[in-house]
Amino acid sequence: MTQPPERPAILFFAALGTGGLLTLMTYFNGQLAAAASALFSSLSAHGTGAIAAILMLVAIPAFRRRPAGASKAPLWAYLGGISGALTVILTSTAVNSALALSGTLALGLAGQMVFGLTADKFGLFGLPRKSPAWKDLAGIALIVAGSLLIIFYGRGA
Amino acid sequence: MLTFIAFAFGGGILVGLSRQINGRLSLSTGPLVSSFWNHFVGFVALTAVALAFGGLFPKGEPIDWPWLAFVGGPLGVIFVASSSWLISRLGAAQTAVLVIAGQMLSSVIMDIITGAPGSPYARIAGVALILGGILVGRKRKA
Repeated sequence: MTQPPERPAILFFAALGTGGLLTLMTYFNGQLAAAASALFSSLSAHGTGAIAAILMLVAIPAFRRRPAGASKAPLWAYLGGISGALTVILTSTAVNSALALSGTLALGLAGQMVFGLTADKFGLFGLPRKSPAWKDLAGIALIVAGSLLIIFYGRGA
Repeated sequence: MLTFIAFAFGGGILVGLSRQINGRLSLSTGPLVSSFWNHFVGFVALTAVALAFGGLFPKGEPIDWPWLAFVGGPLGVIFVASSSWLISRLGAAQTAVLVIAGQMLSSVIMDIITGAPGSPYARIAGVALILGGILVGRKRKA
C-alpha cells in the first residue's frame, strides 16, 4: 500500500528539524537567561523575533500572501502569544523548584501530549479533527518512552 | 510541590494551546504573519508583566551578554511559523510528538558535542526508541 498523500515524508523531516530549532533556541535563550534573567531572555526573544518577522515579510512578498480562499481569522486567533508568554513564567518557576529541568521537561512533554490528543479528538480552536490510528499511538508511546529515558538518564543535570 | 507540578504540566498544555491558536491564525494569514503576531503579542504581554512585577532590567551589564543570545528570537520566528504550517497537516498530537523527537535527537547530538555528562547507554536506548517510534508512526500499511 502506498502512503496517503496527506502525510508525505517531508512533513516528518520538517517536524524533526523544527525540534532541532527548539534545541538551538533553548541553548541561545538559556545563555541570555543565565546572563540576565528568564523574563528578560523571553522578552528579548519575542522582541527580536517580531523584528526579524517584519524584515522577512518585507523582503519576501510571498510570505505576505494570504492562503487562497482563507476566511477572516477570529480575534482570539491573534492571542497565541499570550499563551506563549505565560509558558515562560510557569516553566521558569518550575525549573527552579525541586522538579529541576528534567522534571519540568518530562511534565511539559506529558502536558503537550494530553493537549495534542484532546485537540485532535475535538478539533479544538478551528483546526481539523483527527483520530489517531493504533500505529500512531504506538509510535507516540515509543517516542515518549525514549524521550523520558534521555531526559532522566541521558543528561547530566 | 503540587503547585510546581501543575506549573510544569500546565506549561506543556500552554505550548500546545499556543501552537493550536497560531495554527488557526495561520490558516487565515499564512504561517509567517501568524508567527509575527505571536511574537508581537507575546512581547507586549511580557512587557506588561515586567512592568507590573519588575524584572525588566536584567542583573548583568549589557556588555556581558553573549551576542549569540540574540539569535534565539529570529530562530523562534521560524520555529513558530513551521509549527503552524505542520499542525494543520499532521494534527496536534503528531506535530507535538515529532517536534519533541527532533528536540531529543538534536539535544543528544549537542550534549555529545559539548561533552555534557549523561549515561551513553540511556542515550543510545532513548534514541533507538525514538527512531523506532518515528518508523512505527510513519508506516501506513494496514
